Amino acid sequence: MAFLGVYVFVGFGAESFGFEQTADTYYDETNLADGWIYTTNLDDDFVDKVNGLSLTKDSEKKLIVDSIADLENDPDITLHFLQDDDISKFYPVKGEDFNLSDGDGVWLDIRFAEARDLKIGDNITFEFNGIEVEKEIKGLGYSPEHLYQTSDSSMIPDYNKMGFAYMSHKAFPMSDVPYNVLLVKYTGNSSSYEKQLDNDLDRDYSSFMPRAQHPSFAEFQDETEQHKMMTDFIPLIFIIIAMLTLLTTMTRIINNQRTQIGVLKALGFKNRSIMIHYISYGFWMVLAGSILGFILGPLTLPPIMFEEMQQLYSIPYWLTGFDNSFIVVTVAMVALSALVSYFACRKIVGESPSSAIKPKVPKVSTSGFVERFGFWKKLSFNARWNYRDAKRNKFRALMSIAGVLACTLILVASFGCMDGFDEMKEWSYTDINHYSSKLVLEDNATDSQIDHIVEEVDGEKLMESAIEIKSGDVKKSGVVTVLDDNELYTPTDDDKNPIEISDDEISLSKKMAELLDVKVGDTVKWHILDSDKWIETKVTNLHSDPTSQGIVITKEKLDDLGLNYTVTSVISDKDVDDNFTGVKTIFSMDSLTDSWDEMMESSMSVIYLLAAFAAILSLIVLYNLGLLSFTEIKREFATLKVLGFKSKYLRKLLLTQNLWFTTIGFIIGVPLGREALQYLWGTMGDSFYLKATLSFKTLIITFVIVYVVSIFVNLMFSGKLKKLDMVESLKDNE
Amino acid sequence: MSTIIEFKNVNKEYKSGDHILKAMDDVNFTIDEGEFVVILGPSGAGKSTLLNLLGGLDSVTSGQIIVNGNHVESFNDNQLTEYRASNVGFIFQFYNLIPNLTAIENIELMKDIVDVNIDGLSVLDSVGLKSHANQFPAQLSGGEQQRVSIARAVAKQPTMLLCDEPTGALDSKTGVLILNLLQSMSNDRNTTVIIVTHNAILAEAADKVIRVKNGQVESIVINENPKKVEDLDW
Ligand SMILES: Nc1ncnc2c1ncn2[C@@H]1O[C@H](COP(=O)(O)OP(=O)(O)OP(=O)(O)O)[C@@H](O)[C@H]1O
Ligand SMILES: [Mg+2]
Repeated sequence: MAFLGVYVFVGFGAESFGFEQTADTYYDETNLADGWIYTTNLDDDFVDKVNGLSLTKDSEKKLIVDSIADLENDPDITLHFLQDDDISKFYPVKGEDFNLSDGDGVWLDIRFAEARDLKIGDNITFEFNGIEVEKEIKGLGYSPEHLYQTSDSSMIPDYNKMGFAYMSHKAFPMSDVPYNVLLVKYTGNSSSYEKQLDNDLDRDYSSFMPRAQHPSFAEFQDETEQHKMMTDFIPLIFIIIAMLTLLTTMTRIINNQRTQIGVLKALGFKNRSIMIHYISYGFWMVLAGSILGFILGPLTLPPIMFEEMQQLYSIPYWLTGFDNSFIVVTVAMVALSALVSYFACRKIVGESPSSAIKPKVPKVSTSGFVERFGFWKKLSFNARWNYRDAKRNKFRALMSIAGVLACTLILVASFGCMDGFDEMKEWSYTDINHYSSKLVLEDNATDSQIDHIVEEVDGEKLMESAIEIKSGDVKKSGVVTVLDDNELYTPTDDDKNPIEISDDEISLSKKMAELLDVKVGDTVKWHILDSDKWIETKVTNLHSDPTSQGIVITKEKLDDLGLNYTVTSVISDKDVDDNFTGVKTIFSMDSLTDSWDEMMESSMSVIYLLAAFAAILSLIVLYNLGLLSFTEIKREFATLKVLGFKSKYLRKLLLTQNLWFTTIGFIIGVPLGREALQYLWGTMGDSFYLKATLSFKTLIITFVIVYVVSIFVNLMFSGKLKKLDMVESLKDNE
Repeated sequence: MSTIIEFKNVNKEYKSGDHILKAMDDVNFTIDEGEFVVILGPSGAGKSTLLNLLGGLDSVTSGQIIVNGNHVESFNDNQLTEYRASNVGFIFQFYNLIPNLTAIENIELMKDIVDVNIDGLSVLDSVGLKSHANQFPAQLSGGEQQRVSIARAVAKQPTMLLCDEPTGALDSKTGVLILNLLQSMSNDRNTTVIIVTHNAILAEAADKVIRVKNGQVESIVINENPKKVEDLDW
């Protein structure tokens, strides 16, 4: 028990702290920027002015452009042209280190290189804004700005389709590099820095993105949070139950030895030596178990999960984390059990030898409230016996219920997670987006190209642009979706029913409204990321979207607001394979749902692991408690057997109580599990929105697991009942 | 009177390692219906073993135990359970009541195993404990608990009452009360009562006295004129 508690606690803890510490170390080592200032006109004057701000510590400019590599399927490669390599450094693992003075080389995303089987020394060509550059691959590695990489609408990183590349400014075909991003390191928090940018920098800029909003950083941060919640909260329940069970076990073990202790005392052994004997007995076992768990936990659990995470995140290494709480919990476990044995022992040792030799008188049951009702007389003896037994051993009863409850809670939350993922998929890819293909357009696609595409594929135009949105001091990034009589894209309300957005409405997604703390009728300020023009609008209604948060308006409204209508994609209910000029990528609905499924698969292992541990947890708790009660009621059962009661009757007696506890634990555990799930969705990140719902299937599976465990434990005791030797059991207490 | 119990060449061996202990060594005796039997013998003689074999709590190594014409030694587990339920009433030295059930519940519990209509209150009345019906065992004195235990045993109207040192944990005055009760069960209800005791005085009240020593029957004495328990010189 001590082993399992510490194993799970430290193991999961090492994993979640590992996440944090991995990120911290990696970001530290590569000196990740604190913020990114985007502007179209990044000249020396701008840099000087930013550097002149009191909070700025350091800055570095670079050009980030999207390009297409001249390889099969036109993969998207984000190019970084660096002026310096001090902030957000490239992390080389193969080939040469990054070299600023090398204008012929490119340092490529190692994941992409591996997926495409590219080697150092190979040449690769990138095309962007009509420019082509061909470079030799000099090194492979990672970038702290590309921990998590997704393309426009694929949610899972597909290293075959995208990547990044680092080059020196010398590699840029023109001598005047049109830098567009200024990386900054600053002191203080992001909002005070942003305030200073807004107030003291007398230059305009498009947008400022603090770390918290950087997609790669934020995604990993969310993942860390999510893991922290899963791996803090659940193992905590685990360790508490483990501790309680351990403590009761220790007390019972010692109480069972009371006659022996009495005899030893009568024989003249000193109190001290008796106590030392009995305390050390449990102490060494708990210590050994705890140490084993402490060592094995971090060794075995984190690698399983890191392996899954490896697919989602590009990080050169994973660290197994460590936190002082591990030691505290382990020591507390050992110390507490020693302390409890000490007190239990002292109580017995304190008694006179003659009374200690006698078995403890069972607590007097008294007729309680329930017995006064008429129906009590109608209850079977089974029910009466179990009711009184539970009443007499309240602690044991509560512990059993708590064990089942914790198990139910963990199972419901875990399986509920899967339900949620399915629901999101259904909601997002059936209710809202019900096209067959989505053609994502090039930034510079012309109107005539677009019209041609629309005609060819019988499509609809859609504009989805990144925005920043704020209310008061809260600022969030999101998406503005602009509708043009779309049939294949339907906004929905909270119950997933389609809603109509009329020309004078501004609809804010519910999650965004929660994040900004605004209601219908309140005002929000927002701007499209590519433009510096902030707009103030009143929210006229709310819609709900599980994966994309922001604003939905019609094209007419956009015009009213004085913003440019820029079509970003064409959606069609046909399966489109042909390549049109002006189209960057084509996503089919199938590939979207496939990549969604793939992403979910990575969460599965954690879910299965948790479910397995939950089952083991309740198994151990129930078995342990069963064992304790069994030694107590052995004599009673032997008596009943002598009287002529069948084993079946006795089994039923045990089973009844077990089922009562299981049912109570289950009934309380389900809603609590739902609460935990709701909390979990909250930690999923700003872009996700879902109300916690439990499917019938989840309830059934949880029900089955919980009851199977409970009945299984019962069967183990049924075996013992069969073997119960009447003569011996009756002699036992004499 | 008809023979109801017969032990034929009964042996019971306990193996501990390669050492074999003969707890019953070729035991033969018969007991008639309604007899009040006292079994005497030194500690370790095999008295409890004899009672346990007769009560179906343990099985013989060889020999036959015939009760009501049935061979108890050939019963399987289910038959033994059935046999205990309908034929045997056990009374222990330490009462062995179910602590979670009240006095009356301890008795009415028997309804779950035998097809006899049990009126708990009137059975309790017959042992003089009507007023304690709703008390739990822990709230009763030792003697009272033993009386409840007797009431529980007779409630199912068994063929025989097997009592292993029923007064062992009681003072002599209470002990007489219990023994008196047992004797009246034998006389009034024609129930066969077998009592294991260390108290040789009780022999004078018995219809039959079986003395056991080293696992063997030493003597069987039949009293033509058994005394009443309360008339004995305690
Ligand atoms: N389970 C057992 N295993 C081995 N030997 C046993 C077992 N039970 C009893 N014995 C032995 O069988 C013999 C008879 O035991 P039994 O309990 O019948 O004695 P008894 O006459 O009831 O004694 P007492 O008056 O002290 O209760 C003893 O020598 C005892 O050691
Ligand atoms: Mg004995």
